[in-house]
Amino acid sequence: MSAPPVPKLLRDHLSTLADNDERLDGRSRFEGRDLNIEVGILPRAEGSAKVTMGDTIVYAGVKFQTMTPYPDRPASGGFMTSAEVRPVCGRHWEAGPPSEEAIELGRVVDRGIRESGCLDMSDLCILPGEKAWQVILDLFAISDDGNLFDAFATAGIAALRTAIIPGERFDVGEDRPLPISKSPIMCSYHRVGGRYVYDANIREEIGGDERIHITLSDDGHVHSLQKGLKGVFTADEFYEIMDHAKQRTEAIQAIINSLEVN
Amino acid sequence: MGGYGDVQMIDADGKRVDGRGAGDMRPMTIEVGVIPVADGSARVTWGTNEVVAAVYGPMEAHPRKIQKQDRAVLDVRYNMAPFSTTDRMRPGFNRRSREIGKVTRDAFESVVLTELYPRSKIRVEIEVLTAEAGTRCAGINAASVALADAGIPMTDMVVSVASGKINGTVVCDLNKEEDNNGEADLPMGILPNSGELVFLQMDGDLSPAEFKEAWDYNMDAASGIHDIMVAALNAAHGGES
Repeated sequence: MSAPPVPKLLRDHLSTLADNDERLDGRSRFEGRDLNIEVGILPRAEGSAKVTMGDTIVYAGVKFQTMTPYPDRPASGGFMTSAEVRPVCGRHWEAGPPSEEAIELGRVVDRGIRESGCLDMSDLCILPGEKAWQVILDLFAISDDGNLFDAFATAGIAALRTAIIPGERFDVGEDRPLPISKSPIMCSYHRVGGRYVYDANIREEIGGDERIHITLSDDGHVHSLQKGLKGVFTADEFYEIMDHAKQRTEAIQAIINSLEVN
Repeated sequence: MGGYGDVQMIDADGKRVDGRGAGDMRPMTIEVGVIPVADGSARVTWGTNEVVAAVYGPMEAHPRKIQKQDRAVLDVRYNMAPFSTTDRMRPGFNRRSREIGKVTRDAFESVVLTELYPRSKIRVEIEVLTAEAGTRCAGINAASVALADAGIPMTDMVVSVASGKINGTVVCDLNKEEDNNGEADLPMGILPNSGELVFLQMDGDLSPAEFKEAWDYNMDAASGIHDIMVAALNAAHGGES
């Protein structure tokens, strides 16, 4: 992403709003945009989801391949996450090989899902030492109005929860649902006008400073953290957003766990 | 074309594998304004195909060396999402995608009034979300509507459709199974108001008579697709259909 020049006016405006505890679009500090999740919408993917958060729209698709297990884990399958942020999703995104930002997006989402242990890698083994399933989660943005991190993470877990292992097509047994035992959820906070806000839109991202991404799972366990961009934060600030992330995670988990494919 | 006519895909009554007659197109829907951050956008579903297109611009063309002093440059990309096909499509450089992006640009450069925007750039981004044969045509149709939605001046819309041949019979708008086993494919880009062409490709084997038949199917289908485009634009922009 080529950073657009930050107009000092936007930063000043965001700072003034922050002084009055206000935001550009009228939300309160920790209020998210309207979240809509649809699952089972991509017929060529074995699991899929579309997430809309305000004007941010992303897709996640799950595909399966067979692989030779890694020598050090002969009875485990594999999991890979790839995030594509192509120029379709905003005027500031450019064509070319994956940008640093897109790579960071994919890796942070990957860690949250992987480290939560929601995917049982040993269940993906077909024949120890010889054949196993590789689960590939492709994250694909079509409209970037900020906070692609949370949109990707939410779409990712929703798509995985609806995925069907295509045993019949690969001639290795019957089709069966991919077992997912937990719902890791990412909550992202950006420093805007000097204080952290939840679910920043693109103008808040452009006129803001550093960001923190927290992935929590069941029982409030933390599985992935990432601080991005230049900036300094205090322990008190961190614990404040961590408390909010716990509440928000439970709310999003309730939505994700109730989703069904039509 | 991969086929030699050895898979029977048309029954005794002339019905195709999905129940269509030879001249029937798959059902198409068009929705305008599906990418809120874009200056213009559209979604086309055509059978199982789902394609979105976004338009950005006219905007500053950079680096400066790509600028044209007397007109805007069109920057057109066609891409298939990794989950758009049965076997995962690996992201990254792809000769097929580059070629389709190029011929799509060539088509739109023939209708967009680029001379109104010297030294600027208009970006057209076509993304295939689900592929089921005919994605280049679906992409051109989506891009056409997205350009109109963005208010980019054009002499006409570009309407794209392909006809081909299966089991020796010329048919309109091949689906995936027909495309895989078919004997010819003729995609065209048609200007509905003048009947002129701005995009043409073909591969396979067609006799002069078969070619004429495929050509005529495309011309007929284009007029129906144009109606769907205009209705979608009117629905989004408050016009009368």
